[in-house]
Amino acid sequence: MMSETATVSAPSAIAAVLAEKHPGKCLHQKTTEKFPTFWVGRDELLAVMQTLRTVERPYAMLLDLSAVDERLREWREGLPASDFTVFYHLFSLERDAQIRVKVALCESDPAVPTVQRFWPNANWYEREVWDMFGIDFPGHPHLRRILMPAYWEGHPLRKEYHARATEFDPYYLNPEKTDREQEKLRFVPEDWGMKRGGRDEDYMFLNLGPNHPSAHGAFRIALQLDGETIVDCIPDIGYHHRGAEKMAERQTWHSFIPYTDRIDYLGGVMNELPYILAVEKLAGIEVSDRVNIVRIMMSEFFRITSHLLLLGTFIQDVGGMTPIFFMFADRQKAYDVIEAVTGFRMHPAWFRIGGLAQDLPNGWERKVGEFLDWMEGRLDEYVTAALKNRILQRRTQGVAAYDAKQALAWGVTGPNLRATGVSYDLRKARPYLGYEHFDFDIPIADHGDCYDRGVLRLEEIRESLKIIRQCLENMPQGPYKADHPLAVPPPKDRTLHDIDTLIPHFLSVSWGPVMPAGETSMLVETTKGITGYYLTSDKSTMSYRTRIRTPSFPHLQQIPSVINGCLLSDLIAYLGSIDFVMADVDR
Amino acid sequence: MSKTYGRYRLIRADLDAPTYPAQNETIVDDPLRAQVDKNVTMTRLEEMIQFVTNWGRKNSIWPFNFGLSCCYVEMTTSLTGVHDISRFGAEVIRASPRQADLMIVAGTCFIKMAPVIQRLYEQMLEPKWVICMGACANSGGMYDIYSVVQGVDKFLPVDVYIPGCPPRPEAFIQALMLLQDAIGEERRPLAKTVADQGVYKKVMQAERERKHDRRRKQTYLRSPDGIE
Repeated sequence: MMSETATVSAPSAIAAVLAEKHPGKCLHQKTTEKFPTFWVGRDELLAVMQTLRTVERPYAMLLDLSAVDERLREWREGLPASDFTVFYHLFSLERDAQIRVKVALCESDPAVPTVQRFWPNANWYEREVWDMFGIDFPGHPHLRRILMPAYWEGHPLRKEYHARATEFDPYYLNPEKTDREQEKLRFVPEDWGMKRGGRDEDYMFLNLGPNHPSAHGAFRIALQLDGETIVDCIPDIGYHHRGAEKMAERQTWHSFIPYTDRIDYLGGVMNELPYILAVEKLAGIEVSDRVNIVRIMMSEFFRITSHLLLLGTFIQDVGGMTPIFFMFADRQKAYDVIEAVTGFRMHPAWFRIGGLAQDLPNGWERKVGEFLDWMEGRLDEYVTAALKNRILQRRTQGVAAYDAKQALAWGVTGPNLRATGVSYDLRKARPYLGYEHFDFDIPIADHGDCYDRGVLRLEEIRESLKIIRQCLENMPQGPYKADHPLAVPPPKDRTLHDIDTLIPHFLSVSWGPVMPAGETSMLVETTKGITGYYLTSDKSTMSYRTRIRTPSFPHLQQIPSVINGCLLSDLIAYLGSIDFVMADVDR
Repeated sequence: MSKTYGRYRLIRADLDAPTYPAQNETIVDDPLRAQVDKNVTMTRLEEMIQFVTNWGRKNSIWPFNFGLSCCYVEMTTSLTGVHDISRFGAEVIRASPRQADLMIVAGTCFIKMAPVIQRLYEQMLEPKWVICMGACANSGGMYDIYSVVQGVDKFLPVDVYIPGCPPRPEAFIQALMLLQDAIGEERRPLAKTVADQGVYKKVMQAERERKHDRRRKQTYLRSPDGIE
């Protein structure tokens, strides 16, 4: 089982701990991006996880958990034999370190013990793995489908499962089918261990969603109510599952980019960053400073539009009608710039592997400058007109508060984590694209309540404006795309002169480039938290497995632990302050 | 100009239809024109009443606050300041389907969500219309994938389709105006006691046909290197 790429020694601090406590049990795997990755036997998993959770400066956050169907993977020399590999991506704030633990499973017995006793947010991730791969988690309290409907057959991310809707029977709907499917959607409290009544009272069960103005998309929460108090609640997701991870297995490396835009559909080009940076790492593509700075500038524009939308809808959800009109008008001003630069509003697919779709247009400085001049003064007006509103403060201060410890246990990242007083932002902690050269602050708050989450968004807009101002003033010159065969095809005008250019050009344009085999990953601080792409390449024109870690998924999973015992109206304020979009949850 | 231009779609409820939408359609002539020869006075009167009710309906469309994905953000954008659909009498967004006339399917239609969409549509009262917004709702769009219905018209009767991924707010406003034009030409039963309970919807010319000649003449596209 052991070979050159999987050895027991690895040059990191945690490797020494693992080697001491579990001698010979943890195989280190070398990856393209030098990510600490260890293979652990299924029987040792819980012991190793216990060590990682309780070690000094522990790995307190489960950032991601998913699986890979390895049965068709060819380029896996030196890795332990495996049909299905379940991987755990852990994160330690104190160490500022990550680790990936993998468990190899055999097709005849795809089961691995649940790790919920170490990280409560493993619950949904394990349900997702069951749903998508059919891997069992003995000890899981409610192992049932989460993304697909309850009556679904098959496990979509298995390699033998068809991807296309057009490969199945044509879709139809009639009264019987509607009734049958509606019946499957009915919430049955007993299934979740809920009682229908207490000693003196009957509980009311209320469906909030899947279509509700405050649910911000196709999202349902089944509430157990005692009067207006929420006794317990079960968030129900999967109404927005677009199969992005399966899609990545049939699109070329380049043509998957537009799909990344639509993961967090408010984040625009910022969604492309983790994917593109991961692929560039894999292919060894270096880009110019100009590309990086332009990427930073356009990403920050989308952070502004996303945060403006959150602020507007958040205040509207608790009853303030006017601010949303201010904020949407200002979003238009930002979109004017975005459109002038990228040619599209919400999903420009403008970042490319190895550069940008185009250089900045002539006259962009004036456009960006005008926006900055307008917006910088505007934020103080927001504070006066909206955030100092007494009603808003009374509705949101002290509501749905949680502390840093809870946030880490539930996998909360981004502004929601920073609202609890943890100053952790990947742009500072682990700078990418050259964020380390910029002068900006990480705003934090300490109550961790709805109001703080709202205020932080406003402060982040301020910082984004500072970053864009610095981009505007210090934009370097340089090419807008890298000269690398995996990034761009050979120059078109040379193709008709020699066959050695013609053939690579033809292959690169028709099939797409073949990326080297290996694994790569990238985490980026996007509008809603940490978004991560974990790519497995099998030396093909397409990705073998693309795992997308999105911030909204754990944010929704956390809801019951925060809101139980509060009033129904607090839930609306809380949902408004989380900042989630369902595409970012269900992908 | 298409062959069916100026003709009407006669829509009748068909509760025994094997699949949704529970209705059948036939192409007919304008029912009012067909009656002119029989009784000119009554037809004139009915035409006038139809005109007045249609005028009222088309200028006070109440959309249902219903969104699925990205397109909904652009739809919301058209409700607010800069675009402002209250200029077209359609700003009264209702959160309950029972108070709404117009369902805008803004976003991807998922197999898990489809029965819910159907139920919400059924809860809306007649007269009601459907605008299908964006590539996903039109045809599945980019998402030819196991969990997505390849077009909401697989089970809902759609009045206007908006292309785009997502369509701009201006495109949504245009769709609303096109729907208003179509409503202006409708012939609906004026009361339960009037014999013919079918709904006559005019066959409207597709925008692609209408703009075809003008688009063919377009020879200059501005360079993306500058900002105008």
